[in-house]
Amino acid sequence: MKKKVFATLVSAMMLASVLAGCGATAAAPAPAAAPEAKEETAEAAPAYDSAGEEAAPASEDASGDVTIWYYWETPGHQEALDHIIQEFNGQQDKITVQAKYVPFADFKKQLSVGASAGELPDIVILDNPDHASYAAMGIFADITDRFDVSTYYPGPVNSCTLDGRLYGVPFGSNDLVLFYNEDMLADAGCEVPATWDELLDVAKKTTKGNVYGFAHCALQNEEGTFNFLPWLWSTGQTSYEINSEGGIKALEFEKSLVDAGAFPKEAINWTQGDTMNQFISGNLAMMINGTWQIPTMRQEVPDMKWNVAPIPQDKQQASGLGGENYAVIAGGNEEAAIAFLKYATSKDTCLYMMDHMGYISSDSTIAKDQFQGDAVYQVFVDEMQYANARGPLPEWPDISDAISLAFNKVITGESDAASAAAEAQATIDSILGQ
Amino acid sequence: MKRIRNFFRYDNIGLLFILPAFCYMMFFVGYPIISNIILSAQNVTVKNLVKGQKEFIGLENYITLFGDDVFRKALLNTLTFTVACLVFQFLIGFLLALLFNKNFRLAKPVRGLTMIPWMMPMTVTALMFKFMFSTDVGIINYILRSAGFIKENIEWLTTPGTAMIAVVAANVWIGIPFNTILISTGLTTIPQELYESASVDGANGWQKLTRITLPLLRPTIESVLVLGFIYTFKVYDLVYVMTEGGPVNSTHLLSTYSYKLSFDMFQYSKGSSVANILFLILLLVGILYLKITMQGEED
Repeated sequence: MKKKVFATLVSAMMLASVLAGCGATAAAPAPAAAPEAKEETAEAAPAYDSAGEEAAPASEDASGDVTIWYYWETPGHQEALDHIIQEFNGQQDKITVQAKYVPFADFKKQLSVGASAGELPDIVILDNPDHASYAAMGIFADITDRFDVSTYYPGPVNSCTLDGRLYGVPFGSNDLVLFYNEDMLADAGCEVPATWDELLDVAKKTTKGNVYGFAHCALQNEEGTFNFLPWLWSTGQTSYEINSEGGIKALEFEKSLVDAGAFPKEAINWTQGDTMNQFISGNLAMMINGTWQIPTMRQEVPDMKWNVAPIPQDKQQASGLGGENYAVIAGGNEEAAIAFLKYATSKDTCLYMMDHMGYISSDSTIAKDQFQGDAVYQVFVDEMQYANARGPLPEWPDISDAISLAFNKVITGESDAASAAAEAQATIDSILGQ
Repeated sequence: MKRIRNFFRYDNIGLLFILPAFCYMMFFVGYPIISNIILSAQNVTVKNLVKGQKEFIGLENYITLFGDDVFRKALLNTLTFTVACLVFQFLIGFLLALLFNKNFRLAKPVRGLTMIPWMMPMTVTALMFKFMFSTDVGIINYILRSAGFIKENIEWLTTPGTAMIAVVAANVWIGIPFNTILISTGLTTIPQELYESASVDGANGWQKLTRITLPLLRPTIESVLVLGFIYTFKVYDLVYVMTEGGPVNSTHLLSTYSYKLSFDMFQYSKGSSVANILFLILLLVGILYLKITMQGEED
């Protein structure tokens, strides 16, 4: 009899492990640190049929296969990338480019695993705050004299630079601004806030019923840090000086929003996409969010009256710089990879990608002609001058973790601003002191 | 040659039969474990993963970890989480098994339905519970408020203490079918005659439960608890999706913290140390399980 019990148990166990296996593979962990475009659907952008015809031809000696890894899950993004790759492959016959999609949740893991196993592609398109870490790992080629970025915005270029050497090319950028619901502000009799005090005031006045006045993604990860840092920078402090008058002031400002009931505590579990969904569902009067949400918002709620403005400031204007960079893998097919990058960043090709994805080109000469006559995008383009890069520092993920822990402690009321700042500073100092 | 042939005579021939399985296990299970142990004794971070010296630092990672508040919290959380989940999912699963054992009409289809939580992809369950525990629009607060238990909404997932309750609740829901099914199977092996003769002797329901059902179910219960411990102890995706270890690290488990150290913060050696500690605990429980089942065989 016991044998029978044992047999049933063993079969149940086997079933269990099969099921557990299913669970594990089916479970794509929720989007982690992701200050980039993810939920958007590219709106129909004008076609650039002639794109690439005047692009730089592949250099003489470059040939062979080039593989690209990227993590955009939006069909519009994938199609845009595919479009320029097909065009590139069609106009010359020495280099064949192909792209491989790696889910964002697995991207960093795949890169780390690939780096230690020596199984990497030739180009990766990655989230810019992670760039320095991988450059320090030594998997990216130094392209300092092989690619010209003199016309690019300093923030994005900075994110590809380590110890004065260039390890990548900015793909495209996005930044953060204040989104507001025009009707809700008008109903509350408020002007668009430009300073912290005004923001607090407007947020209080627009908070009623189920509507919160203001929120930004405050996840305890890179995505949350990305949205919090503009407050810190606006006080004139750098990312590494959180235990300062400005740092404590920034944390206290968050606290005052939460205490006033104008900022939902639940924002600590909201991705930027969740925050946008709350806004377009009419549950938020104002939010901080990024460029890449515009195509979706225009498509989902064409009748909603919303607009954008620079992030309200304390001492100076500041915004967060997001976006991706191209990086060439050291020891891969470097020449051919650079030839493709030269093509992909040429004006028409770049414009095609940017317009389909709702990104701002990191090349200032291209960006200034982008979105002509589109007042909403113009605010983002203007804000680019004040957008700071995170890092660049190989240990940035640890710094970011300390910062996000600090504002999470303050928002949840676990500790006050001063002690949260002091604790974060201790971690940051120990990392920088190494 | 003769010696070799002699070696494989009789009992030793068994060694040949297990050789393929042994090779497979060494390659796919043994190698990763050993390489992970080596990794945890080095100081591999983002700077020396690919090139540069990988220094051997012995147990230093483990020592640092035990001084790390988040790690200690994660270890404690994992134990609390596992014990809390086991208690509730076992009790509820046991009661459901007793209920379905009554063979009332629809007992079988309803028992089938209780399997749903187990069939559902973990991410879906996690997202569902995340919505249900949402402060302002979650159905749980709505029900509690409507029933008059609470006046103010509870901030389930944004307050450290209650976030743990929420993830435990979600995992209990997933674990109940596992317990129900195994205990149901165990119950069917108990001969009905025992209950009949007990009834003749005038035993009441409680006596039948404690004198017949529980003692005869002991091997099943032990296995359910040990297996449940193993499955619960290594839960990752549920917590990752629901809270990502937050708020303020209050729901980090060893699994989520290990992942975070390795793949978010690029501290590969530390991450693998956490994974090894997780492995060591499960190994002990696994040995315990083998012992129990072997005893069962011998009886």
